[in-house]
Amino acid sequence: MGFDFAALLGLFGLSGVFALIGLVLAAWMAWRIVEKAGLPGWLGLGSILLTLTAVGTIVPLILLWIFAFMRWPRDDETPVVALPGQPPAPPARPGMLPPPTQALGDRRPWRLNGLLPTGGTVAIAVDGTVPAYLLTGAAAAQANELSVPDPSVGQPHARLLVAGGRLGLEDLGTPGGTLIDGARLLPEHGPRDISAARTVRLGSVELALSRS
Amino acid sequence: MSFLVWLIGLGSLVVFGIIAVHLLVALVLIIPTWRICTRAGFSGALSLFHLVPLIGLFIVMAILAFSDWPAGEARPRRP
Repeated sequence: MGFDFAALLGLFGLSGVFALIGLVLAAWMAWRIVEKAGLPGWLGLGSILLTLTAVGTIVPLILLWIFAFMRWPRDDETPVVALPGQPPAPPARPGMLPPPTQALGDRRPWRLNGLLPTGGTVAIAVDGTVPAYLLTGAAAAQANELSVPDPSVGQPHARLLVAGGRLGLEDLGTPGGTLIDGARLLPEHGPRDISAARTVRLGSVELALSRS
Repeated sequence: MSFLVWLIGLGSLVVFGIIAVHLLVALVLIIPTWRICTRAGFSGALSLFHLVPLIGLFIVMAILAFSDWPAGEARPRRP
């Protein structure tokens, strides 16, 4: 009986060690995740450590939902490509890499080529005569509209920005979604520099990016 | 024999209950994590790791914490 009791205590001790390691790991990772979103890391650490208190796991769960749907400071940082008419990005702080806003020497027009799910092809030339274009699933009605005729493409779907030989892309929040080299672009990301990207996906249409 | 059947039935009910509670808890975690993953630039399907008992949460957190976010990260704060 004494042996059984000792084994039981050992089991509790072992599970306690595992729980402690798990808690420390979770707190460390929460610190890093919250910092990547632009919030102070101690907020993540604190929310995990709340599980040790009487409020249990309910409060951290509520905080997880708040974190998922709140506006992150990262989303408010200077976009990579400046919108037309807006002031240029401020200089980088000391010790940081400057944002890639330098103009490119290559001024050839950009091309977006792809296949439509219906079997047709789409070829778009972006020559930069207009600083911003709207990518739309409808027929182009104005000079700044570029048509990608597919039902999965919104009307409009995304904004293309041309500045200094660079190309930027901004999602306008349509259900079809926008991906840059497989990574999802959301409206809260703002305009992103896609000059070095290879593919852009609008809804179910994949477009290869090149210069002609 | 009837006791054995009763025991098996009770066991099945308990297992069903455990699975149902696990799925419910996983769902409560999957929804916000899906949103966090997509905002970070990852596939939202990563959040389905919450369905893995015990270590699923740690897998998702490790991916988010230790890999570069495709959609960009906040600049480091000043010390």
